[in-house]
Amino acid sequence: MATWHDRSEGNVTARSSKVNGLLFMLGLAVLWELIGQAQLINPLIVPPLSKILRVFAEVSWSGQIPLQIIASMKRAAVGYVLAAAVFIPLGIFMGLSQSIYRLLEVVIEMLRPVPPPVVIPVAMLFFGLEDEMKIFVIFFSCAWPILLNTIDGVRNLDWVLLNTAKTFGLSRGRIIRQVILPACSPQIVTGLRVSLPIMLILVVISEMVGSTDGIGYFILDSQRRFRVPQMYAGMLALAILGYALNQIFNLLQRALLPWHGGMMRRREEG
Amino acid sequence: MNSSSRFNWLGWLTLGAILLFWEIVSRSIPRVQLYIPPVSQILSALGQLFLSGAIARHLSVTLARFLEGYLLAAATAVSLGIVLGYFRSLHSWLEMLIEFLRPMPSVAIIPVAILILGIGDSMIVAVTVYASMWPILINTIDGVRHIESTLIDTGRTFGLSRGRILWQIILPGASSYIVTGLRIGLSIALILVTTAEMIVGSKGLGFFILDEERSMNSGNMYAGIILVAVLGYALNRGFLALETKAMKWQHGMIARKVT
Repeated sequence: MATWHDRSEGNVTARSSKVNGLLFMLGLAVLWELIGQAQLINPLIVPPLSKILRVFAEVSWSGQIPLQIIASMKRAAVGYVLAAAVFIPLGIFMGLSQSIYRLLEVVIEMLRPVPPPVVIPVAMLFFGLEDEMKIFVIFFSCAWPILLNTIDGVRNLDWVLLNTAKTFGLSRGRIIRQVILPACSPQIVTGLRVSLPIMLILVVISEMVGSTDGIGYFILDSQRRFRVPQMYAGMLALAILGYALNQIFNLLQRALLPWHGGMMRRREEG
Repeated sequence: MNSSSRFNWLGWLTLGAILLFWEIVSRSIPRVQLYIPPVSQILSALGQLFLSGAIARHLSVTLARFLEGYLLAAATAVSLGIVLGYFRSLHSWLEMLIEFLRPMPSVAIIPVAILILGIGDSMIVAVTVYASMWPILINTIDGVRHIESTLIDTGRTFGLSRGRILWQIILPGASSYIVTGLRIGLSIALILVTTAEMIVGSKGLGFFILDEERSMNSGNMYAGIILVAVLGYALNRGFLALETKAMKWQHGMIARKVT
């Protein structure tokens, strides 16, 4: 399908588009710096950009921000991996067996509309401000995209694949490992990808609501102490972290599922 | 798939069994009761909160903030998205900024908003607008870009004005993308409202739930959570109902495409 944008591609090439984007960002940065220097807006709220970058470099070198990020990522990783370890297998079973699906359907539909941050008070009731609190919240909120995508993947499986495996007398375990898992991995990966930003959001929220360390706590605490450059530095670190997580995910996906990219391409062409 | 339209006895039975188990365990072990009060107690707490009107105030505050933030985000993001999708050169200027801001978890904006707007309603609405704008914006841009060139060319050939091309070709053509963005934005808006209420609020459901937890009124806390879940569910349902009404014409179009 030709979209009308393909034609205009000629006058705005990808490279000049990057240059424009960079120029605009630079312009904004200069504007920010000037406003900050001239103190046009309350300098408490808009400090010069150069000051923010200097503070960013300082807190990065001193290890303050890296330590907070490590603290956050430890919790995030445990919750995320736990959610994957529980809900991918559950999704496979629910996708394979209609009766297991119907058994759990109502309970899941009851829990799903709960907005994840609302779970924080419950987790605080049980775990206080400990790491387990954040882990539970992340586990809960990453569960749905992983579970629903896995169920979808199994349901859309090519039944010829399953029947062939059964005909060849493969055991249930081998069918799951060698047929179902690889065949559903695109959808499972989609679920994992969707829950990646959710994980980051929830770790930040739970650290803002109840924590004594972590990058979310650092940002909010800097604001409360009116260390505004530190606050912006923390946000910058968070943006970089979000970007890096996405890149790492892409890298892992290419390393673990090298055939996946080719399959997706074939599907799109087909 | 017809089995899914039948009433799911098995599923409701599971739910009933879990609730019954919950009730019995909670009633028989006092230590558990402190953290997980019996279901009956939670429901009666919910009833009392409604009767006394205590919760209605929080609910209306949350709902008002949600609607204000979400509608504002929808209006801004859809119009901005159409402009950016239509004028490619404009998009090329802003693309890098969008790509830079997008991976940052939107809740990180809360401290900045507190700094600028204080801890009132406007701050909560502002962060809601900021966060729920992203999916709507990105989807709208995508939608406008995926419109078939023949459609717009035909419109131009027939000498339609810019305004009519916008209303009669671009908006309907991008609508399925826009609706997807709006649906994602809906749940994000609710997340942001409740989060902001937890961090700075003195009213609203998010504040209520956290406050009840802090004063160890776990019954009221669970009652508040049930209410938020019902609110989220109802908003979603309402959205779907509006969508099927507004997008009725599209089902015909999709069916035609398939055949």
